[in-house]
Amino acid sequence: MNIRFKIMSALVTAIRRDLQRPHLVAHERVGFISAGLASAHDNLLILARAYRPVPDHQYLRDSSVGAMISAEAIRAARQWAMDDRAAIFHVHSHGGRGIPRFSGIDVRENAKFVPNFISVAPHAVHGAIVLSETAAYGQVWLDGTSAQPFIATFSEVGIPIRTWRAA
Amino acid sequence: MSRLDRQSFLGPNSDAILADATIGFVGAGGGGSHAIQQSAHMGIGGYVNVDPDVIEDTNTNRLVGGTLADVVVSLPKVKIAERLIRGLQPHARIISVQDDWRAAVDDLKLCDVIVGAVDGFREREELERFSRRHLIPYIDIGMDVHDLGKNGFLVSGQVILSMPAGPCMRCCGFITDERLAQEAKRYGAAGSRPQVVWSNGVLASTAIGLMTQVLTPWYPDPPSFVFLDYDGNKGTVTPNPRMELLKNHVCPHHPADETGNPLFDIRKQRFAARPKAKAEPMSWWRRAWNWLSARPA
Repeated sequence: MNIRFKIMSALVTAIRRDLQRPHLVAHERVGFISAGLASAHDNLLILARAYRPVPDHQYLRDSSVGAMISAEAIRAARQWAMDDRAAIFHVHSHGGRGIPRFSGIDVRENAKFVPNFISVAPHAVHGAIVLSETAAYGQVWLDGTSAQPFIATFSEVGIPIRTWRAA
Repeated sequence: MSRLDRQSFLGPNSDAILADATIGFVGAGGGGSHAIQQSAHMGIGGYVNVDPDVIEDTNTNRLVGGTLADVVVSLPKVKIAERLIRGLQPHARIISVQDDWRAAVDDLKLCDVIVGAVDGFREREELERFSRRHLIPYIDIGMDVHDLGKNGFLVSGQVILSMPAGPCMRCCGFITDERLAQEAKRYGAAGSRPQVVWSNGVLASTAIGLMTQVLTPWYPDPPSFVFLDYDGNKGTVTPNPRMELLKNHVCPHHPADETGNPLFDIRKQRFAARPKAKAEPMSWWRRAWNWLSARPA
């Protein structure tokens, strides 16, 4: 299976801008992207719809990680997945240029909380995305048991369309 | 020096961008054939060409690449398009679907841009909805000839660039319930609509300019919503006044939550590679015709 992630460039620009805002206690900001899904031959298409930042009061004080969010924040995102029959992707930014990669902490934390979404919206895939200023990288949870493939191709749809192979 | 050297102003990576792009052409007739030909000249690498029809005698006034010999053997329009492309891009990735576009949705979903050269408002609207659902920019072209009575005829048309989330063909008043109702009333009784090669050429050229702009723009901040009116009597292509009015308009007709397949369920989904197209052996009479028509007079 080949996984493609598509997002309008206006939306991803807004996300990058939002994630740059400083926070009182967290070192970085995080949010969630909802997406529709489609298939085409052996391709899974993840089609971004909207973005919701985690509200300021849902960050927890934790100096060991860039951002720690509360159970309330996760609950709200899970509700979004259920209400809209949507795929949900956790998103944060590492800044810089080029294709970013998950840190060790990202890998550990993603594995902990992404399965939460599968339990409430098992019809969809869910996952995590990390952005840079020019690109993105991501991983997808197809279900509770299979391996978690990486997103092969990203497209920012605008003028111009920008496409890159990430994995 | 490459054959694309004269278009290097499109950017240092433009050759690669164009070669990597896959464009869906829905309709390979009067308008579509021009657009496909120009895309091949420009170095577009991937094509999904969809048209159910074969060439007929009355198509030869405008179908670019079609020949009288093709009429004799009722060659599908998508095969004519494929031949046209191969003459310029021998290694192009071409998927030819001789069917309604709804039979080619998996191939069209993987396109970077879709160019629609179809008849009818209903089909246009469905194609635009499909494109938006899959976050694909859609470019629509169409022409018409209006009988002005004693004043002759008016040749007119439009080119619309419809980007997902931006103004759509309903937002700009091109598709309306009245037009859809009128079309439904006329269904099956329309007869042949007048079509001419030069106006199709103008519209297709304009559409390919917009497609190029979406892939590799040659000036900063080109408009993301374009609605151009063609007046074939005056010989003008002008921005429709609604293009400016709708500049920052958010489309209410295709909300973001319609993106994707509403019934998608990963647990039921089967993913399979596209079946390889069967090689079609050329019939003996086709080979004979080719041989005869290739002989010097």
